[in-house]
Amino acid sequence: MIELQEVEKVYRTDRVETLALAQINMSIARGEFVSVMGPSGCGKSTLLNLVGLLDAPSAGRVLLDGAEVGHGSDRSLARLRNSKLGFIFQSFHLVADLSVIDNVQIPLLYRALTTRERKSMATAALERVGLGSRVHHYPSQLSGGQQQRVAIARAIVGRPDILLADEPTGNLDSNMGDEIMSILRELNEEGTTVVMVTHDQRMAAQTHRIVRLFDGRQVN
Amino acid sequence: MIRNYLLIAWKVLLRRKFFTFVSLFGITFTIVVLLVVTALLDHIFAPHYPESNLGRTLGVYAVVQQGDQSKRTGFAGYTLLERALRQLENVEQTAIIQAQNKVASYQDDGRKLELFLKRTDDAFWRIMTFDFLEGGPFSASDYEQARPVAVINQSTAAEMFGERSALGQSIDVDNQQFRVVGVVRDVPFLRVLPYSDVWVPLTTSRGEQWREGLSGSLFGIVLAHDHSDFPRLKREFAGRVAQLPIPDKEFKTVRAELRTLFEFVALDLFEIGDTSRLRMVIAVLALMFMALPAINLINLNLSRIMERLSEIGVRKAFGATSPTLIGQFLVENVVLTLVGGAAGLLFAGLVLSALNNSGFIPSAAFSLNFRIFGWGLLLTLVFAVVSGIYPAWRMSRLHPIEALKGDSR
Repeated sequence: MIELQEVEKVYRTDRVETLALAQINMSIARGEFVSVMGPSGCGKSTLLNLVGLLDAPSAGRVLLDGAEVGHGSDRSLARLRNSKLGFIFQSFHLVADLSVIDNVQIPLLYRALTTRERKSMATAALERVGLGSRVHHYPSQLSGGQQQRVAIARAIVGRPDILLADEPTGNLDSNMGDEIMSILRELNEEGTTVVMVTHDQRMAAQTHRIVRLFDGRQVN
Repeated sequence: MIRNYLLIAWKVLLRRKFFTFVSLFGITFTIVVLLVVTALLDHIFAPHYPESNLGRTLGVYAVVQQGDQSKRTGFAGYTLLERALRQLENVEQTAIIQAQNKVASYQDDGRKLELFLKRTDDAFWRIMTFDFLEGGPFSASDYEQARPVAVINQSTAAEMFGERSALGQSIDVDNQQFRVVGVVRDVPFLRVLPYSDVWVPLTTSRGEQWREGLSGSLFGIVLAHDHSDFPRLKREFAGRVAQLPIPDKEFKTVRAELRTLFEFVALDLFEIGDTSRLRMVIAVLALMFMALPAINLINLNLSRIMERLSEIGVRKAFGATSPTLIGQFLVENVVLTLVGGAAGLLFAGLVLSALNNSGFIPSAAFSLNFRIFGWGLLLTLVFAVVSGIYPAWRMSRLHPIEALKGDSR
């Protein structure tokens, strides 16, 4: 489903050239739950950004369902992100000015859907994460765990094939972290491919496979 | 999608109330000034009461006589108008109007009124579209026979006769006695050609001297069948003027041209080469005036983007393209500007009505008509797009990862 071939990522500024990833070769099959681990600055998030088409590799190829997607146009990448990918961030990134249901609808705004369709899909996604009673709340009225569940609802509302989670439990206590982890596991059992960056060995242990990075290289 | 944009636009406005107030104040102030100035220009140059036929009217506003040593610039004289203007072929009407004088009018009860007096001919009443509240205009025969008859405006009638009818009453103006034959609705002061308090036949002027000369104290106007006749009439008139004998030995040439009111202001008052250039000067001034608050708004918009990096990052991550984000941001800016524009329209209406009621400009009738409203709306939208497009473009160019990290570089 996802394939990285000889992927390299270099960040260049006027004076410094930083090698963030080198010689990454990996493939993630449909339905897998993969965690990416490694010390801070080892390139975990960079890897996730490349898989999530938020960034382009400096060298090598990124393939999604067999098609090279590493260097698409703004429009084609946006369409792929919208239809195939869902993101969960460590700091939730909810829009404070929008209610829970309006936040969840964001990915659907970029699809040809009616208001009614969007609303019913968003409600279903919120019910899926156990927040059906909080649709008209605002993010500031929710606990951290609830906010992350809203973020998961937003990530799954468009029924993406792949969920990309960047330290989804990093800002939560262990109880809330477990809650989030169980939702992710359930989603995976229902067929969604999940790639999760984490520092937490306990969380990583619950996934099918761990990819370890060190200084931008795979060390499996 | 638009509902979501409008919702977030509204929330963003409420989030930083002081910034929103500053932005709105800038927009509102600019729109008020532009609308008031537009209303003023409209009031002077557009066809309004009683100059509904202004679009078909040309005037002789100035005559220049030039010799080797001397030059005389002034209003037209009767001879010039009689021999050049009155001879124009295939026109609807020509009229001669004296520049107004302020004169004294003594009342039976001893009061002295200061009134504007204008002497003119019967054709004046056919070119202008006065609203008669009582009676009617003086006739061709009144003009030819020099009958002492007068048309007065509503305010003067009220001042002189109160509730009583003014018709048939005798009035003393400029030490002459006239009989009132008509009362008209007041004319706004800035309508230079028709404005007056009292209108009487030109032929009632004292003595015969007013009938002489190429220069004098008169305006001439011609009502064409159609606007498209203007070039022909201008050529014909200039040709006739050039052939006039010049009685004053001091001068060798005489020059007078038929102009629209706008041309007269552009060419003779401001001495700007042509009317399109005056239009351009006005447009450039308006744009410069709009540029200041627009730049301010661009600045505020850019700083607002910094507060919304995470939202931009999220939208990009979930499939928003750059053009979609530009659209969203422009919608927000249009909302802000339309709110400012609406406030501007409201305040402009208040300012104009205050100007109308202040008596600062006698009988002023500034109004926010639909044309001006349309202009206001257009200006507001131009403003919204101009001040929104650059920040929107900057926002759309942000890299999603940088935006999510809160880094705007």
